[in-house]
Amino acid sequence: MSLPEEPELRARGRWPPPLGPRVAIVGSRIPSPYGEAVAEQLGAELARAGVIVISGLALGIDAAAHRGALAGGGVTVAVMGTGVDIVYPAAHSKLAEEILAAGGALVSQFRDGTTPRRHNFPARNWTMASLSDVVVVVEAAEGSGALITAEAALHLHKEVMAVPGSVFSPLSVGTHALIRDGAALVQNARDVMAELGVGQEVLDDPLSPPKGLGVTLSPGRDGILSHLSDVLALNAAEIARKLQLPVAEVLGRLTALELDGAVRRHQDGYVRALRSDKKRA
Amino acid sequence: MLAGLHVRRVEVQADIANGKPGFALVGLATTSVKEARERVRAAIKNSGLQFPPKRLTVNLAPAEMRKEGSALDMPIAVAITLAGAGKRPPPRTAFLGELALDGAVRHVDGVLVAALGLRKLGFDRIFVPAADASEAALVDGLVVTPCASLKTVVDDLLGISIIEPHVNGEPAPGTQDDTLEHDLAEVHGQEEARRALEIAAAGGHHLLLSGPPGAGKTMLARCLPGILPPLELAEALELTQVRSLLGDLAAGRPLEWTRPFRAPHHGISMAGLIGGGSGVAQPGEISRANHGVLFLDELAEFQTPVLQALRQPLEAGRVTITRSAGSVVYPAMFTLVAATNPCPCGWAGDPVRTCRCTPGAIDSYQRRLSGPLLDRIDLKVSVRRVRLDTLASEPTGEGSRAVRDRVVAARRRQLDRQGFLNAQLKPARLRKLAGLEPAPRRALERWADQKGLTARGFHRAWRVARTSADLDGAENIGERHILEALGYRLQDVAA
Repeated sequence: MSLPEEPELRARGRWPPPLGPRVAIVGSRIPSPYGEAVAEQLGAELARAGVIVISGLALGIDAAAHRGALAGGGVTVAVMGTGVDIVYPAAHSKLAEEILAAGGALVSQFRDGTTPRRHNFPARNWTMASLSDVVVVVEAAEGSGALITAEAALHLHKEVMAVPGSVFSPLSVGTHALIRDGAALVQNARDVMAELGVGQEVLDDPLSPPKGLGVTLSPGRDGILSHLSDVLALNAAEIARKLQLPVAEVLGRLTALELDGAVRRHQDGYVRALRSDKKRA
Repeated sequence: MLAGLHVRRVEVQADIANGKPGFALVGLATTSVKEARERVRAAIKNSGLQFPPKRLTVNLAPAEMRKEGSALDMPIAVAITLAGAGKRPPPRTAFLGELALDGAVRHVDGVLVAALGLRKLGFDRIFVPAADASEAALVDGLVVTPCASLKTVVDDLLGISIIEPHVNGEPAPGTQDDTLEHDLAEVHGQEEARRALEIAAAGGHHLLLSGPPGAGKTMLARCLPGILPPLELAEALELTQVRSLLGDLAAGRPLEWTRPFRAPHHGISMAGLIGGGSGVAQPGEISRANHGVLFLDELAEFQTPVLQALRQPLEAGRVTITRSAGSVVYPAMFTLVAATNPCPCGWAGDPVRTCRCTPGAIDSYQRRLSGPLLDRIDLKVSVRRVRLDTLASEPTGEGSRAVRDRVVAARRRQLDRQGFLNAQLKPARLRKLAGLEPAPRRALERWADQKGLTARGFHRAWRVARTSADLDGAENIGERHILEALGYRLQDVAA
């Protein structure tokens, strides 16, 4: 397989970006709260250290990485699988504007007006790898597009790193396979900085474990919280079975926890929130 | 004659005059009725009766109404033979049936509907095909004469030999067969969906089940009729009328006592689902599902116009169909259970298999489901596949009968309070009949605030909470009922 190292790119915003190490953060479009929190914090810490955070503007990990970089006050670049004039998914229009406003860029190898096409995304993943010095994968299920980016990075002699996850989660299958194959394990932003060879730089705030929920629970509502995980979604029926409670009651208590921002609901059930939902609104 | 569930009376007059022998049939008869001339002529001759060799005119009154169907064969033949014998027909007596060429009386559809209508019009005796006698005999206060052949009818009318009226034997209608085809006791796990079914049954709410292939959505839906209360006599009669119209009644079991479960394929046409066809519209699946369950599997695959046509009947509980031959109204009080995959490939959110749909594809798939129809579905539940090790063990859930007892009690509370089920509570009535105390109100408003609930969503949760409270036997809606109700919704994939 051979692709030109840097295909001709169209760009919106500041391109090329300011000089500095470039790190791509990629992963699942439907991550767990854990993965999302990791991507966001990695993005923020790296941006703070002057790294240019590259991702694909997709849902899930990509968006979390961009958001983190913006929160860290850094420059972030979205490598798109559509024309630079078409933001996909459309829900990320605001995020795209924020990236531009913060001095970042939207870049694409595709002509203006190119709509999302399934077969364009793998090519985009190659481009993303070619633009980066290091690719960090955060949560990727088997067959995930993020693994294409990782593979491209290997072909292009870029460093591939992966964040470990729960062994129970299907979202860890891809990342753990990468680690098994020799990808460096990422526990915090410092690990990435070391890989970039700038580990000596001042980085006084390593990626710290989540600081807790940051939410106040109404009294008496924390009973079922300890049975929820921040990675694996459980549905009301499973929790009810575990606690031997009527499902109607469990459902009500979960809704109450949702109101308090302590749990989040996914397609397949409830997970503990790692941070208050209000921030995302 | 029938126009939907409406009965129109047709008077058949026969006149025999001197002149060139002939047989004229007048009175806006359509083709099927015009053909009656040949059947009637042959049937009379082959019954050993005399076909008057004179100038014969048969008039179907009122003349301005279009006449359709073969049920007019018998009255025409009777009118001719009575006229030939110089006799008048007995008063307040109606005839219906199709004739075979040998004079035998054949089955016609809709005898029950006709009998009910004729009783209302003041008739007290009805001659029907022998095969349909048990159907007609369901109607109180009507003497039903079963007719095997034209000859026996004429003999009866001329007083030669009297036909014994048909009376339905025991067991009297009213005993319901209580064996359930699908019992909740056979369902593994799925506690959340079971609870949603119970609420749907108790409050008459419509339900959407979302989940991957093989999660058991169809099985769950099939359990719903079994937890609905037993049919009332009036409901059973209504069901039977629709099936009678369609010629769809089992022989020997005149009254339909089981709640219907209809599961049309997603390729169904508008006429098939709502009702229609040429001439007078026939009832569609929604009317066949009357007092029972309409199950629409793969909801996103149905044609959009077909789904949109469901809105009016969902609101009104009946459907009005207008065709060239006039408008008909059919009952359509059903509980809708819809099922869908969460995304085109079906695996979004599955803990084991990976979804391979693009966010765009998932988006447009879910958008097909959104909108006015989904707005009318109060309960939405995602159903997960049950793990294989659970499937191998004995199911531990309650059986349908236990659930049904609670449903019956909850329905009684609603009927005592407001005279109808909670699903029919419009916003104004909700405020009046299901007022919220401060705590539950706060929970609901807080949620609406945080999650951007629409007005419809707000009222949906409120209605469901009322039913949850009724299942609890609670006078007022509590906070836990509101919180539970808010749980019956789906999450976008791209949360």
